Amino acid sequence: MNAEQLRAFFDADAAAAVSPLLAITSGVVLLLVAEVIPGLARLRSLIVVATLAGALFCEQRILQSPPGSVLGGTYVADGTSAAWGLLFLASTFVAWVYGRHYYRTNRTFLGEHDLLLLTTPMGMMMMAGARDLTVFFVGLELLSIPLYCLAAFRRQRNDSVEAGVKYSVLGAFSVGIFLYGAALLYTATGTLSLAELGTAVAEGLSPLGIAGVALIAASLFFKLSIFPFHLWVPDVYQGAPTPVTILMATGTKAAVLAFLLSVTFLLPPTSAALIGTLALLTMAAGNLGALVQSDVKRMLAYSGVAHAGTVLLVAAAARASGGALDEAAGRAALYYMAAYVFTAGGAFGVISWLEADGEHFTALESLRGLARRRPGVAAALALFMLSLGGIPATGGFLGKWFVFAVTVNAGLMPLAVIGVLLSVVALGYYLRVVVAMYMQPAPEGLAPPTTRRDSATFATAFCASMVLLLGLVPGPFLDVF
Amino acid sequence: MTNLTLLTFLPLVGALLLGIVPGRDARVLRGVALGVTTVVGAMGIALLVAFDGSLAGAQFVQQVEWFELGDTTVHYQLGVDGISILLVALTAVIMPFVTLSTAGHIQERVREFLVWLLVMETGMLGVFLAGDLVLFYFFWEVSLVPLYFMVGIWGAERRLYATLKFFLYTLAGSLMMLVAVIALVYGAQADPGSPVLTTDLAALTDWAARQSLATQSWLFTGFALAFAIKVPLVPFHTWLADAHTQAPTSGSVILAAVLLKMGTYGLLRFGIGMFPAAAVAAAPLFMGLGALGIVYGALLAMAQTDVKRLIACSSVSHLGFVVLGMFALTQAGMRGSVLQMVNHGLSTGLLFLLFGALYERRHSRAIDQYGGVASVMPVFAFFWTFSMLASVGLPGLNGFVGEWLILLGTFQASPLLAAVAVTGVILGAVYLLMATRKLLFGPVLHPETQRLGDLSPREIGIVAPLCALCLWIGVAPNGLLDKTTASIDALLVRVEGARAELRTSRLELPGPAAPLPAEEDAVR
Repeated sequence: MNAEQLRAFFDADAAAAVSPLLAITSGVVLLLVAEVIPGLARLRSLIVVATLAGALFCEQRILQSPPGSVLGGTYVADGTSAAWGLLFLASTFVAWVYGRHYYRTNRTFLGEHDLLLLTTPMGMMMMAGARDLTVFFVGLELLSIPLYCLAAFRRQRNDSVEAGVKYSVLGAFSVGIFLYGAALLYTATGTLSLAELGTAVAEGLSPLGIAGVALIAASLFFKLSIFPFHLWVPDVYQGAPTPVTILMATGTKAAVLAFLLSVTFLLPPTSAALIGTLALLTMAAGNLGALVQSDVKRMLAYSGVAHAGTVLLVAAAARASGGALDEAAGRAALYYMAAYVFTAGGAFGVISWLEADGEHFTALESLRGLARRRPGVAAALALFMLSLGGIPATGGFLGKWFVFAVTVNAGLMPLAVIGVLLSVVALGYYLRVVVAMYMQPAPEGLAPPTTRRDSATFATAFCASMVLLLGLVPGPFLDVF
Repeated sequence: MTNLTLLTFLPLVGALLLGIVPGRDARVLRGVALGVTTVVGAMGIALLVAFDGSLAGAQFVQQVEWFELGDTTVHYQLGVDGISILLVALTAVIMPFVTLSTAGHIQERVREFLVWLLVMETGMLGVFLAGDLVLFYFFWEVSLVPLYFMVGIWGAERRLYATLKFFLYTLAGSLMMLVAVIALVYGAQADPGSPVLTTDLAALTDWAARQSLATQSWLFTGFALAFAIKVPLVPFHTWLADAHTQAPTSGSVILAAVLLKMGTYGLLRFGIGMFPAAAVAAAPLFMGLGALGIVYGALLAMAQTDVKRLIACSSVSHLGFVVLGMFALTQAGMRGSVLQMVNHGLSTGLLFLLFGALYERRHSRAIDQYGGVASVMPVFAFFWTFSMLASVGLPGLNGFVGEWLILLGTFQASPLLAAVAVTGVILGAVYLLMATRKLLFGPVLHPETQRLGDLSPREIGIVAPLCALCLWIGVAPNGLLDKTTASIDALLVRVEGARAELRTSRLELPGPAAPLPAEEDAVR
């Protein structure tokens, strides 16, 4: 590549396209510097917020004038990827704010924590914008490696370390499968670019290529926690520090989903029934698993599995329609995940809040009588539960509406009917949380809460208002998506 | 006074107001709630008076764009027509009395309860007033939540079981409806001939009524399942007895008076109005289920030893009448069925209110714990007997008018089912009179009964106006019936059109082939 070509490669559009990534990178560098210069560590929070705000501003600009496909077609920054980017930033922000409260009493290595946390949205953005399997892989690693560390961040707790080890071992395994699949696909087609793969697929894939596609799908399903690749989820989500769980449950899934939707064309059209079945099985596995949990965090982990199943219906619909519904499917997935980021983020966040406040267990039992002790917190958690259950006036309902609308429009009526019935099961366990908080007396000898007002209050209010806005005033969000 | 948005959301504003009223004095809180519900009640009556019964379409319409679903615009749209006007008025009128009754049985967490009560009122009014399908669905599902809390927190001993059963049962139905709503909205949007780019009820109704029987049938199934569970029609009725029995008095009253009417209202507006061909085809099934419900509910009621359960089973029976009359698809049947919704709301609401008053004194729902109450509580005995007779359908009281019209309408459609339904009337008299005898008359069986005080002025103030309403409807029902005439006639025109079309398509094309487009047009 000579200088001329290189200049064409990094044109103005490319600079605009990667500007959110650059913003985050500079934030990460600033954090590193601030950590080693005495006295500057105080600025850490300011740097994190400024970085996220800067990245938000850049995504906002992409939304208004999308630069399109850049860097030799390996990366795309259009309205859709920018909308996903906003979600990733929101997810990171929510996780970070709850984290501030969570690590209130144990402040060691907080600088490293924020640094790792701030790296993850970069990985997510690269995954969502990737138009080349290599770029996706880099994004995936950029996201996963910080997450492995973050999952094990409470080193003094066994389950946190266990979560970190499990997540990294299984994560490495799934990444290996992805690479294997990509290698097979490359052997079969001679390319890793999605655009060229599209033409190759249209001409028909060799069995080798199909095997590659299957392996790639399996690794994506692993990250998205689709049945039968969902078994790691409860242990890891439960063991990891709760703010990190927010990031794993919301942002990570959104990023994988964003990429999955841009590679559905790799799957043969006949696979719609298979994906739909997997989606239903995932919903069933998640819901039935959640039904028997007595720990709220673990229950929310299983509920996350069920939600992944629901949103996978979108991929089945996209495939069944042979590409005609791709755009609608993307919008539905975006809305669903937007609602999920704030709902699950808020729900896990409230749990992390209670955990840090001396209600130091996450058992369902410890939530009893919460409505009397802390009415505001209980009301917020109840709202999140109703939104997870998809009751109208919350974002969860409209998300569910869009997902099932795409499913119905693709003619997958049986999937839609079984899907909505499975979401009735889900209400069974979401309501148990509400029952415990509002309808059962507090257990004896409970230590009074230690704090009342701080960053967690703000984060909960933020998530709750976003859930209500997404449910009642969807107009502005629909304009973005 | 006829601003429907104000009417719908005033209770919600009241709920927010309750949230910021300082202090723990329950009387102040109740005063606020009572004030709000009374204003809403007055607005409901003003709306009823101002409503013009000779027009078929929606009146007092308010419409603002809400959001876009692809090309389809969803509106925030409220309106009232002859089918909903009586139910709106009933909801608005009964709520102040319900609020007043809470003083007797809600002593703990008063503020929370009143907030849920007011939220509930907004939800219920919204369901009846919504002029947009998506908005309707919003209100429909949201109105589940307050009752869930009301039963779950303030209910009787098995409240958690009852409230979860109620919630999940009705939610399952609602979600079936959701699938049908989605299919309807996007089906209408994608119609190549005449796309409907709004979720406006009137426009969607016109579109849906033009569809083939097959399309209508499965959409109808989705909607009807949700409504049949809510009513509840017989195979789906098991949640009702538990919810009614475990709910606090005011919850039972709301459930009986208004919430169940959401089911019958839905069947009439969506089941029959939107899918007339499917309704004509399914009418025998629904009439049969209605008649079955009348007799089965009555037999169930006869066997109950728990008074609230007995009243709940009587609801199943009475709502069987409503469904039967509606699906007779005759003018008399439908008018009777709309009026009977109000009647059932009043008389069953009264029974629950009165028994609630008794329960507050004696804390038992078992019928054999009573006996001879009339000798110690004569005023109570008078009002109970009055309400019971209204429920039985004594001529001169409201129940009679509705049942008479329904039986008349049913007889025109199916003499056999009318005969079955008449047995239900007799059985109804049997179980209610039997229950009354065990409660009120005979010797005083338990010493505790001897010490019971009679109804307080507050309690008389709750039941007396409602009894007066029962009498008024019984003597002069035309004032209310006239409000519904034009809308019901318009509905019947639609049904007759569908019936004629079905008949011709059956006559002319005995084979499986669909009617040719030209013929279809000619029929229309």
